[in-house]
Amino acid sequence: MRLILALVLMLTGLPAMAQNGPVQTLLQTYADDIAKPSRRTIQPVLDDLAASGLPAMPSFLEAWADKGIVQRDEDGLFFYGTREGDIYVLRSVEDGSDAGEVGRREASELKPNAGVRRLIGTALVQFQLNDPDPARRRAALESLSRSPSADLLEPLRASIEGEEDPALRARKVALDRLITVRFGTDLDTRLAAIDWMSDQVSLEARAALNGLLTTDRIVGAPDADANVARVLTVGDDITEADALALLADEDILPPEVTRADRDAALIAALDNGEVAGTPVHTLNTEAARWTAYEELAAAGQVPARPPEDAVATLLAENPISEVYDEPDPTITAAAEAALAEVTSRVARAQAADLGLDALSLASIYFLAAIGLAITFGVMGVINMAHGEFIMLGAYTGYVVQQVVPDYTVSLIIALPLAFVVAAAAGVALERLVIRHLAHRPLETLLATFGISVAVQQIVKNVFGTQAVPLTSPDWLAGAWVVNDVIGISYIRIGIFVLALIFLGVLVYILRRTRLGLEVRAVTQNPGMAASLGIDPDRVGMATFALGSGIAGVAGVAIGLFAQVTSEMGAGYIVQSFMTVVVGGVGSVFGTLAGAGLIGGLQKGIEWLNPSNTLAAQTYMILFIILFIQVRPRGIVAQKGRHAQ
Amino acid sequence: MLIRKPSVLVFLASLALITIVATVLAQAGLVSTSFVKLLGKTLCLCIAALAMDLVWGYTGILSLGHFAFFGMGGYAIGMWLMWDRTETIVTGTLAQSPLPPTPLEIEEAIGTQIFGVVGSSDVPWLWAFAGSLPLQLAFAVLVPGLIALVFGWLAFRSRVTGVYLSILTQAGTLALSLWLFQNDSGLRGNNGLSGLQNIPGLESVSQAVLSLWFLWASAAALAGAYLLAQWTVSGRFGSVLRGIRDDEARVRFLGYEVEHYKLAVFTVTAMLCGLAGALYYPQAGIVNPAEIAPIASIYLAVWVAIGGRGRLYGAVIGAAVVSLASSWFTGGGAPDINLGFYVIKWTDWWLVLLGLSFVLVTLYAPKGLGGLVDLWTGRRSRNVGPMGPDVGALRSKEEQA
Repeated sequence: MRLILALVLMLTGLPAMAQNGPVQTLLQTYADDIAKPSRRTIQPVLDDLAASGLPAMPSFLEAWADKGIVQRDEDGLFFYGTREGDIYVLRSVEDGSDAGEVGRREASELKPNAGVRRLIGTALVQFQLNDPDPARRRAALESLSRSPSADLLEPLRASIEGEEDPALRARKVALDRLITVRFGTDLDTRLAAIDWMSDQVSLEARAALNGLLTTDRIVGAPDADANVARVLTVGDDITEADALALLADEDILPPEVTRADRDAALIAALDNGEVAGTPVHTLNTEAARWTAYEELAAAGQVPARPPEDAVATLLAENPISEVYDEPDPTITAAAEAALAEVTSRVARAQAADLGLDALSLASIYFLAAIGLAITFGVMGVINMAHGEFIMLGAYTGYVVQQVVPDYTVSLIIALPLAFVVAAAAGVALERLVIRHLAHRPLETLLATFGISVAVQQIVKNVFGTQAVPLTSPDWLAGAWVVNDVIGISYIRIGIFVLALIFLGVLVYILRRTRLGLEVRAVTQNPGMAASLGIDPDRVGMATFALGSGIAGVAGVAIGLFAQVTSEMGAGYIVQSFMTVVVGGVGSVFGTLAGAGLIGGLQKGIEWLNPSNTLAAQTYMILFIILFIQVRPRGIVAQKGRHAQ
Repeated sequence: MLIRKPSVLVFLASLALITIVATVLAQAGLVSTSFVKLLGKTLCLCIAALAMDLVWGYTGILSLGHFAFFGMGGYAIGMWLMWDRTETIVTGTLAQSPLPPTPLEIEEAIGTQIFGVVGSSDVPWLWAFAGSLPLQLAFAVLVPGLIALVFGWLAFRSRVTGVYLSILTQAGTLALSLWLFQNDSGLRGNNGLSGLQNIPGLESVSQAVLSLWFLWASAAALAGAYLLAQWTVSGRFGSVLRGIRDDEARVRFLGYEVEHYKLAVFTVTAMLCGLAGALYYPQAGIVNPAEIAPIASIYLAVWVAIGGRGRLYGAVIGAAVVSLASSWFTGGGAPDINLGFYVIKWTDWWLVLLGLSFVLVTLYAPKGLGGLVDLWTGRRSRNVGPMGPDVGALRSKEEQA
């Protein structure tokens, strides 16, 4: 029969095959199986199709599973077919080129059933996993990781051998282990996969291990063959309320009379201003109400209150245990051990991540505070408008971006410009206000506060109260990701680098230049410095320009990741003061230490209490207040005119 | 004896005159209830400014946290106001039930009513005595006093002075306001306490009458506070305070326990601020953490500086003028100025004006508005009365530095 069919096919199909390429030829070999596939017989055909390695084969398989293939009745050839009204538009299975059209009744659509479609899908994955294009291989792996299934395990394993791209190969190995753990049937390979996972930190591995360890809470004695994780102790492992709720789910109701029940019963028994002989107006305490209820119970009108230990007895009679969904205790024990190992590794990675966060926060605080520290050191004044220099810097960046649309170029322009703008504002403040209040530190503090209020409001009037955008260039937008736990955005790395640069520049200026020499001289003894020919006013002005300029640059950097508003400076001013006070006034390294301490502390407290950053700030400020008790002059205590 | 001082006499007389005139005008219907309230609130702010002048103008401690004590007083009295009022409402609702309410039921209902807004129904421990007016009134004064005592003891004993102390007080204030902003602080987070203008037990009295009562109470409190402050700064105690301001080290070498004096002034002024807050917030109607933010305390210093620190009436004048002007400008009372190309709206530009005028006062008129009084009296009393910090030894010492 089959032979005759093949003969007929050869006779009628020969001309067609001649025009058609290798795909059609191969398909025609299995024309019957393809046209009417069954789940039992199709596998060898699929294997053969897959083994052909034809480049057009994956798209054919895809279309087949999608019911996008038609067979022309006239010659039995297969085409991609799209139905348009009464006709099918045909395209060649070789290269998708146009192959005419055919009436609705002259061709039949291939409709593989669900089982066959799954097999086709598996064969397809096999194709995609071995696709020459790495991007397609990656896409196949992604879809595999989204919807893993046991069928795909074989093709995945088979494809590992031939994989040349090391990253993809690692990914394939990882996926193999993940799927093995979940769907594997062989105990040893699963244990090996669990063992492999104990070396990972990725979210996937943790999810896979946790997936093995899911439990159900069972009330009463568990089955003999159940894989019991533990028996819960009420009070320690589970609250009494939760335990009672579980019992209630099992229709084992706690024999309790709630206050609401009691009150309802009392109201129901209310008769002529009396409840069971008690006048109602005396029922104004909890004790009186319970007494009345017990009287009702004694009269048999309501259910009696259970004895005091009823709940305890009930809980004792119905132990609650957690039972693993995974039946094999060997697997769960191995998974528990692996998870413990992974958890401790994740904890170490989190500590490293926290360290990075703290470092990044510390560099922000350092940038914000260093200007304040050196002006305070040299001139002995606290500049409350320092935060406004940060804000001015950020707004400079915003204005530059409005003029220069390219983000990279505008950033390159904005950084020096912000320095200039803020430095000019700083010099103006120094000449117009601070110089006239020389040696009156408290009044300087308040006068600069007045400036701060005025500048904030002016900026608000000019730019509006809404936050304005300061967009970072694309190359700064991503994040450096070490693994699923450790990662830090490039902007924060950039700020860290910026802080390092300014640290270096400042140390150079203060230690190696004439200006630095004069600054240090004025800081230590202004009178003596002046008599040696140093002009303290000029030094003060230069320091102010430098300190304010750095604040302006810090403003651009901060604006890249935080909101640019007229109040943004005010948010940093208290932190900056803390940094200066903790670090020690007038010292670059003191400020560095202060920034490190405050940044680390804040991140540390946030880690201990992650839900509440407000509380973290409160605790941090309290800590600093106590710190000042121990070292009133900061970590690096200043020696000079302001030291007492 | 104090009364015989001309400045005290003039002050008390003007205060009485203002109160009487306001009362008469209000009775005649010529000024609104809200204006009477504004006046009453301003008098309370003047008390806080007096306290600030004592601690800064006389003792030289620039505390940037005294308005937090003011807010604490408001919270303490607000807890009673809210609790008692809610209790009345809740009792009324529960009376509908056939059974008389039990104490537990009432407390639960109050908890749900007050703390529902922050998603809780438990009554926090802070509210344990909220049902008692005398206790909460005592707390309004004692809690600020206790906190000031502990904070001041810690700060002064480790010789934290000058700008360090200012920053430290500011940090403490920030910590307090951040804590209050949390929902689980037990004080309703950023919602604060509201509905404080309704005084339990006085529901039948109209707000118009109530506002007058509060005005009188505030005026009486201000008069009392002024006398207390005058008594403090006169005599030996006051001299020591001014000595500490001008040169702390010398006073210490003379054998005075400088820390005790500073601690006493710091604590007493904190209590004074608490009292002022307790009078202020029933008139304001609402107290929330934003009121306690560090900026408020800085404004307090600004008022004293503009009024003229180192003289008591200066602080009062500064607080009154600036806070009244602030309400006038921000309330839309001041006409806009059309420059042709730009219209100056005072609601937007008032802060600019305030900031700059504050700088100008600091630069060119360190005596503040109170200095105008010197022009009038022709500086007759140069050797008597308080020497401002700009006249005292501090100035010359600083010039030598």
